[in-house]
Amino acid sequence: MFMQLDVFKTLADPTRRRIVEVLRDGEKQVNEVVEKAGIHQSGVSRHLRILLEAGFVNVRPDGQRRYYGLRPEPFRELESWLDRYKRLWDERLDRFGAALEKKQKKGRQS
Amino acid sequence: MSTQTKQPVIVERTYKATLADIWALWTTKAGFESWWGPQGFRADVHAIEPKVGGALRYDMVADSPEMIEAMKKMGRPPSHPTTARFTELSPETHLVITNVIDFLPGVAIYESTITVDLTAKGDRVQMVVILSPMHSDEMGQMQKEGFTSQLTKLDRFA
Repeated sequence: MFMQLDVFKTLADPTRRRIVEVLRDGEKQVNEVVEKAGIHQSGVSRHLRILLEAGFVNVRPDGQRRYYGLRPEPFRELESWLDRYKRLWDERLDRFGAALEKKQKKGRQS
Repeated sequence: MSTQTKQPVIVERTYKATLADIWALWTTKAGFESWWGPQGFRADVHAIEPKVGGALRYDMVADSPEMIEAMKKMGRPPSHPTTARFTELSPETHLVITNVIDFLPGVAIYESTITVDLTAKGDRVQMVVILSPMHSDEMGQMQKEGFTSQLTKLDRFA
């Protein structure tokens, strides 16, 4: 039930989430990210570096150009955490139903 | 590939019950403790004040030998205090529990919410629970405040 802290920490920042959204339609150079995300270049560079270090993003050099793209692994991790979280709540509501029945039986007896 | 990080998790159940019975499971000590768990844990409620702004404080206590052992192995204490508030509430129909998440190292304190909506349908009650486990955009400022520490932490791995 404990979340993958690094994944959450990395996506906790709205600017980084914005950059991730922009990269969803494919790899981009920094200036394209700047343009599409509407974030200042220095911010984009800083956050791209954090995303790189956290394994969310990879970089592909092509001559003088550097293309940034998303790596699937952390998103899979996040999805699997969300699945576990959902399961925890499914189990929790099963217990809720059981507790409810118990309460109702008790109510009928008294 | 998905980046649905802000989308809530929704769980829905229909119970043959009265609104009052279901409401009691969310808003009384005995009721809350009877199901909250999660598996392997029990909740010891210290305060439960079902009114807007009212407190909900409980300890999540590892409750099975396996879980106690597992927590030990992870280097975590067997009991964890949780602080929450009822931030919205209409008796027997709607409540929002806001959890203060203050135990993530390097992350500013943030809040996650549990929204519960109850609708009576004949002799049944539909219960919709909406969970937002992630930071929300409204909390942006707090995230910025905590961001420096995250950055420092990440820099260490550079």
